[in-house]
Amino acid sequence: MRIDTVFLKQMINYEGSGTELAEWLPTIGIEIEAVHGSDRGVLEFEITPNRPDWLSHYGVAREIAAKERSLVFTPLDLPEFIMAKKPLPFRVVIEDPADCARYSGAIILDIKVKPSPPWLRNLIERLGLRPINNVVDISNLVMFTCGHPLHIFDLQILEKKEIRIRRAKTNEKLVLLDGQEVILGPDQLVIADGRKPVALAGIMGGQASGVTDATTTIFIESAHFHPPVIRRSCRALGLKTDASYRFERGMDVENTITAMRLAVKWLAEDQGKPLELAFFQDRYPRPWKPQVVRLEKGFADALTGIAMDPRSSIEILQRLGFGVKQRGGHWEVSTPSFRVDVTGPADLVEEIIRIHGYEHLDAELPPQAGTAIVPNRERELEMTIGQHLVAHGFYEVINYVFQAPEENRPFQLESADVRLKNPLGRDFSTMKAALLPGLLRNCRHNVDQNVKRIMLFEIGKVFSRNQAVQEKRNLALAVTGEYLHRDWRQPEAPFDFHHFRGLLDALFRHLRWPVEWLASKHPFFDPACCLAVTAGGKPAGHVGRIASGHALAVGLEQGVYAGEFDLEQLSANSVQRSFRMWNRFPVSRRDFSFLMDKTISYLQLQRQIDGLRPESLENHELLDVYEGKGIPAEKISLAMSFTYRGRDKTLSGEEVNEIHGRFIARLAEQLGLIQR
Amino acid sequence: MMDELRNEIEEVKRSFADELGHVQSHQDIALLREKYFSRKKGIVTGFFDRLKTIETGRRPQAGKLVNGLRAFISERLAAAEAPLAARTPPRGRWTDCTLPLSELPLGHLHPLNFVRSQIEELFQQLGYEIADGPEIESEFHNFDALNFLPEHPARDEQDTFFVADFPDLILRTHTSPVQIRYMMAHRPPIRIIAPGKVFRKDNPDATHTPVFHQIEGLLVDRGVTFSHLKGTLEHFVRRYFGPGIRTRFRPSYFPFTEPSAETDISCFICPGDDPDCRICKGKGWLEIGGSGMVHPQVLRNCGIDPARYSGFAFGMGIERMTIIKYGVPDLRMLYDNDLRIIEQLG
Repeated sequence: MRIDTVFLKQMINYEGSGTELAEWLPTIGIEIEAVHGSDRGVLEFEITPNRPDWLSHYGVAREIAAKERSLVFTPLDLPEFIMAKKPLPFRVVIEDPADCARYSGAIILDIKVKPSPPWLRNLIERLGLRPINNVVDISNLVMFTCGHPLHIFDLQILEKKEIRIRRAKTNEKLVLLDGQEVILGPDQLVIADGRKPVALAGIMGGQASGVTDATTTIFIESAHFHPPVIRRSCRALGLKTDASYRFERGMDVENTITAMRLAVKWLAEDQGKPLELAFFQDRYPRPWKPQVVRLEKGFADALTGIAMDPRSSIEILQRLGFGVKQRGGHWEVSTPSFRVDVTGPADLVEEIIRIHGYEHLDAELPPQAGTAIVPNRERELEMTIGQHLVAHGFYEVINYVFQAPEENRPFQLESADVRLKNPLGRDFSTMKAALLPGLLRNCRHNVDQNVKRIMLFEIGKVFSRNQAVQEKRNLALAVTGEYLHRDWRQPEAPFDFHHFRGLLDALFRHLRWPVEWLASKHPFFDPACCLAVTAGGKPAGHVGRIASGHALAVGLEQGVYAGEFDLEQLSANSVQRSFRMWNRFPVSRRDFSFLMDKTISYLQLQRQIDGLRPESLENHELLDVYEGKGIPAEKISLAMSFTYRGRDKTLSGEEVNEIHGRFIARLAEQLGLIQR
Repeated sequence: MMDELRNEIEEVKRSFADELGHVQSHQDIALLREKYFSRKKGIVTGFFDRLKTIETGRRPQAGKLVNGLRAFISERLAAAEAPLAARTPPRGRWTDCTLPLSELPLGHLHPLNFVRSQIEELFQQLGYEIADGPEIESEFHNFDALNFLPEHPARDEQDTFFVADFPDLILRTHTSPVQIRYMMAHRPPIRIIAPGKVFRKDNPDATHTPVFHQIEGLLVDRGVTFSHLKGTLEHFVRRYFGPGIRTRFRPSYFPFTEPSAETDISCFICPGDDPDCRICKGKGWLEIGGSGMVHPQVLRNCGIDPARYSGFAFGMGIERMTIIKYGVPDLRMLYDNDLRIIEQLG
């Protein structure tokens, strides 16, 4: 919406510049987007949905006068209609007043359609429109002046001397002013003559009945339409016009005659002679009644937090067009017809304080709460995880919440995808079932930027559905490239899976989450390098080397190690701190080197050790893994050290030898190990 | 007997003196010490052990000799250690402590989460709790309960993602539904902030992404006023942007607040007259977020009596805060997850 401050001065005694007004209007709620014109006198702004009455110079002038007590809003002088001595037979019929609360129609014969005079062309352009001809331009100017959209028809095209406001019949057609043909139905409200639709009510006129250079007789419509009907039609047909924008938000039903009179006044001036109305009818089946809002004395002060003089408050409301009656402990405030948004006392308080000025509000903090706040455990957990990972070298990433359907496929194993009905595109059509595909893409982006060390994590929601939609929070991590760069002290150290596991283990230990690692297979990971993680016996996630197929699909050739976990599952069994006296007896260490079949995994060896473990075996470590020279091809050579400590006494060297000897003998027997 | 012992001891002293002359490092001294004083095999230790085999009468005299040897060696070893600290390193082991350090990996939070946690902390200090809610929401919690009337254009201003196969479900367009859920589950006094992801069907460009983050606040109690809201927002601006930044609190409109307001802060790059100013484009003011007194209908929808309680709500875009505070030229950089920007700002 644009306001021309030069034109505005015809209706209000404002003396200042456009620039000054632009500074000042935001303080009452009109936010200025831009200032146009060589004189910087045209102000452009967007309205908020509740104030369609600002879509006019009258509306803005009224607001300015409400704020500035020295200014007076004076609507333009409107001469009375001149009725023709012999009125034309014609009728206006509203089929359903619920759709159309008021319809005024007027006919002027003997009109000359021509280009607008310079003042009108100039003003129309400043207001952001294209000048067309005197009739159309005047019609537009009326809308910008008093806010009410008119429509003007070429009377010749109207058949049967009738204008009927009705719902369209199924499959009725109409070619609109812009050349589009629309197929109509009972959801659309049309203006029709005795035979056919001639306009989409409140939206756009038909091409056939539009005013052209050949037009000599016109029918002027000034009407009010029910906002939801207009809105539904606009949505269904994909249309949006200056008129529909206004009708959707609710026009002033009491304003239709003013608009009509403005049109006739300017047409008469343009034609250079007084104009008679050959026909005039105002159908007003649903007369407007003011709404009365009860405002308790003291409510405004209580809501704003400042004491305001009641007389000034009443004056503000009156200058805005409200009627105020004092009634003992409260006021009865009646709303003007152009305010469709005021329904309760809070709305009135906003009017008062907005004009009084928000700068008069105090700025104080509310008194502190007396109760302790409840910590958000999930958030604290996220922060702890985040700080730990950051200290260990990880960068946090945030990806979109949706991805392509095939990115979900390796992860949606037991449930189905949640999809969007109106996504931005196919790549954004599925709510993600896992975070890792996003991290994989992030790896690729940063590899392209020549980053050598990439360590990423994300905490975010993932989605799936069974009967209902489910959201849960996951933690995902991915590393690729080299952990340490080559420098004068050390060669480069590329990431490998065992190192990545070590990083995860550090996190789990920091958070005191006991987990188990199990051999596993998962479609996203390389079958030769994949483990499942369980916590409290329940599955909590998978880790591994991302399968090369998936990596190559995003253009990554290097290995990526990654894992994704269900945060709730992972954190459900965290161990509390408690004291346990440590064993103070001395340790003894015994080493054991052996050959093992390559078909046996370390995890299986671990299981056997756990199963056969003597009570005094406190710890064991893998010191060396060797294959090659001197070792049979199907075997691997391992060197381990075992640490023994007596529970309740010092073990002698001979005792340890005996325990160790028996243990490794049984271990060797179970797994076919050959001692070296 | 005594002479034999004396000669042996002299021999050991000569041998030691010779070895001492070849000492070049602390390592060498340690080895010498081990050689002479180790419990099992030390030479001096051996002499002390042999004292037992000497007849009792002679023991004191022998003991004096052996002690003399011990003192001789141990004093000289101690004396040899001090100068080693000051001596230049042994040949073949040059070092220079100004050589480059070996950098260890250090990570960063994502700038949006970093900004979010700073804002959270500010409000936690004022006694606000952090509340959370689902990202897939019902139309009821996202629109209806917040006084967005059906068919009203205000619902259009927020282009919404709808979930397929679930006609009432959408991706939430703001974090206000968290406030609704909280109000429905708790009695006043209520003091919460609700940070989180929100979704609008916007094609990504320099200032819009379809996924972004908001943080909203809600305070409901007896006697809460519009002045309290203004005070809270001014306090936030002072703390977050610094004391030199001015604020402007001006009227606005939201379906769920009445009266409503927008808060602007003064541009900290230009005084408001530079149309090329990358932050404010010459307006001189930057919008940071909307707010208002909770609409009585919204309170009623949540089972709170507006005659007894009042409240305010405010919201800010975290992306917007990040752009204002740090000058990020294009929002999409934050979602490309380019490590260079995460490193700079996280």
